[in-house]
Amino acid sequence: MQHRAAAGPFETDGVKAAPDAHVTQAQPYASYTLGAPYDEMFTRDGVVRPHCAALHERISTLPSEELVRRQQACEISFLHQGITFTVYSDAQATERIIPTDLLPRIVRRDEWDRIERGLTQRIRTLNMFLQDIYGDARVLKDGIIPRAMIFGSRHYRREMRGVSVPHGAYVNVCGTDLIRGEDGAFVVLEDNLRVPSGVSYMLANREVVRRAFPGVFRAAGVRNIEHYPQELLATLRSLAPHQEEASIVVLTPGVFNSAYFEHAFLARQMGVELVEGRDLLVNDNVVFARTTSGLKRIDIIYRRVDDDFVDPLTFREDSTLGVPGIFNAYRAGNIVIANAPGTGVADDKAVYAYVPRLISYYLGEEPILDNVQTYLCREPNSLSHVLANLDRLVVKAVGESGGYGMLVGPHATTAEREAFAAKLKADPENYIAQPTIQLSTAPTLVDGQIESRHVDLRPFILNGERTTIVPGGLTRVALRRGSLVVNSSQGGGSKDTWVLSA
Amino acid sequence: MLSRVADSLYWMGRYIERAEHTSRLLAVKLESMIEQSREDSAASWTRIIAAQSAESFAANPEDAFATTDSIALARSNPSSLSTSLSRARDNARQVREQLSTEVWEHLNRLYLHLQPFAIEEIWVHQPARLFRDILRDLHTLEGVIYTTLRHGEGWYFLELGRYIERAQLVSRLLGIHFGASAPDFAYAPQASKYLDWLVLLKFCSAFEPYCKEHTAAIRPERVADFLLFDSEFPHSVKFAVGRVNEALANVAPGAPPRRRAPCDRLAGKLKAAIDFGQVDDLIGGSFAPFLAEIMRQCEEIHDTVFSAYIAYDAGTVA
Repeated sequence: MQHRAAAGPFETDGVKAAPDAHVTQAQPYASYTLGAPYDEMFTRDGVVRPHCAALHERISTLPSEELVRRQQACEISFLHQGITFTVYSDAQATERIIPTDLLPRIVRRDEWDRIERGLTQRIRTLNMFLQDIYGDARVLKDGIIPRAMIFGSRHYRREMRGVSVPHGAYVNVCGTDLIRGEDGAFVVLEDNLRVPSGVSYMLANREVVRRAFPGVFRAAGVRNIEHYPQELLATLRSLAPHQEEASIVVLTPGVFNSAYFEHAFLARQMGVELVEGRDLLVNDNVVFARTTSGLKRIDIIYRRVDDDFVDPLTFREDSTLGVPGIFNAYRAGNIVIANAPGTGVADDKAVYAYVPRLISYYLGEEPILDNVQTYLCREPNSLSHVLANLDRLVVKAVGESGGYGMLVGPHATTAEREAFAAKLKADPENYIAQPTIQLSTAPTLVDGQIESRHVDLRPFILNGERTTIVPGGLTRVALRRGSLVVNSSQGGGSKDTWVLSA
Repeated sequence: MLSRVADSLYWMGRYIERAEHTSRLLAVKLESMIEQSREDSAASWTRIIAAQSAESFAANPEDAFATTDSIALARSNPSSLSTSLSRARDNARQVREQLSTEVWEHLNRLYLHLQPFAIEEIWVHQPARLFRDILRDLHTLEGVIYTTLRHGEGWYFLELGRYIERAQLVSRLLGIHFGASAPDFAYAPQASKYLDWLVLLKFCSAFEPYCKEHTAAIRPERVADFLLFDSEFPHSVKFAVGRVNEALANVAPGAPPRRRAPCDRLAGKLKAAIDFGQVDDLIGGSFAPFLAEIMRQCEEIHDTVFSAYIAYDAGTVA
């Protein structure tokens, strides 16, 4: 059954549709646009998708001042909880909240089931791949992936060769970015295998949005995500031999890190200690924390510090965030570090292009979730295609993340494209290109109006003895009209994500 | 408990106490100003500035507006109310996972509440009221801390910080009020000076408790006796030193005796000096040195706690 949109007028493909004289309560949607991208709430004809009907009705019946009031309540709650990041632009450091949008994004049960199977398949493959390249390197001998791409990657850690990792689980926490193409199918945009963040926003958004729409929330049958911290704890525990007594800590770079709130939040929710590098010391290849009563042995570290900074003796010697000697303790098997060092080699944007082939190589299966079509600029044919079509492609540096080092062709000026082309030709191996995908859009509250904004989805995958994915994720939203960049460092916000149980 | 965490909780306790003290000084001073002569008002601002070690930030004690600004809001002044609140919150943030949500949110709200104010704005709306409000919120915070945190090691580190700070602040205030010279204990202040003593008591939340004990007849030696040696009044030095001892007995439960001993010894020594001291012994020139000695011993306890529990050398503990 299709629900006729109580809302209109819509614009279709940028052209304003004929206003529907009967619909007067539709005001909040006055400037809502439906174009080529898939919309999370409406079909192309402006009809509400059935699984969004209850939410849509609630939004349409609330006066826009009330929506704004609820939105402000969410923001104040974030500010009071200290869910902020610090901007050091002027003399005085100011704290800002990461914008959260009141209107949840809804994912159907069947869609989620496919996501769950696809991500499980993917994380299995990536872990097997990591075990392989830090072990026998069969995948390189068989010529599936170029040797130079792995050994030349700046995230490859020679020191990890021959290190035995519990359950072969190199990646214990993974945040995979999914987007919806124009046909509505979810595809993988990026794997984040190093220190993915954002899970606290998933939980914090749920907290405030459930309060804003209690009725719809209950009626919709939204699946729980609140057990994420317990699942994370169980995953970490499963990595140590004496699971119950294992002493676990979360390692943070400290209070100035933009994700500090999340580190403290997870430590508190798991009931484990939050430590900084300076709290730990290594004696005789055993890791200890300095406590008021003396030194206390540590068994498992959930680290939120990048590889480079974990151990100044092994990696960057100028790091003051890490623990000198911890890597030797790790090699000696006296401490578990999650995620394992060296996982970054597998979320490289060039390796990404090979993941579908890796899935069939290791598992003999077809990928359940597709990749975005990717041109490897290291291949001459692809390079010339990319250079000829810069105005239609997104070009990304392979080792970068957070939206840095990329060119969004259609939105760039000719001068920007020319400058980027020069960089591309100078160092083609460092770049990949993808068609500009119109990320799907979802209704978003902007200045009291409901407008369409582009969104992606980052579910969090836990992987130890077994794989667990809590049904939900972080929906990131590009708050600027027309923008496709959802990164919080570049004007992105986030939304609650409702996965339905039926 | 992690040493770094203990350190942050200790400092959080100190800064909360300092913020409470500063907001009380400001509230009481601004309320009493109306009844003071120009000279008396300037003299009392001078004492406040000295108590806050704010001489380089507040140049002119006759300018109540500028002085209030520098003691309440100036971020350049390391002992201003705004700085204390911000440091209390910074420390709380560093141990966020050790605090209850209630404690953190209360302190965070308090901090956010003061942030947007500029002195011009405070001045037009009964300036004392803002500081009364903050004082009330700080009292509430004390209750929230008491009732939502486990009374374990972390809580005792908060207590330790709070009461070492209090012992020092009250001693300092007394020293400044009585001056370096020997106070004449037998002297009964006249009406104009009476207000100064009343204000001193109010600076320590002590006026009503004092009256219950000694009636409204304010005598300097009774004031000194009450603020130093009353065993039941929470803002007396004796009370604070008792709490310091109790807190020290409850921190670092697993530390080896040789690390505990120096802290316990120093705290016991200070307690003995207060427990067996009496105001009659302090007549003549020994009053100021007695206060200076209390403050010095508090410093020594502070340093010893740091080297025993926070920054101990890992090589010394097997």
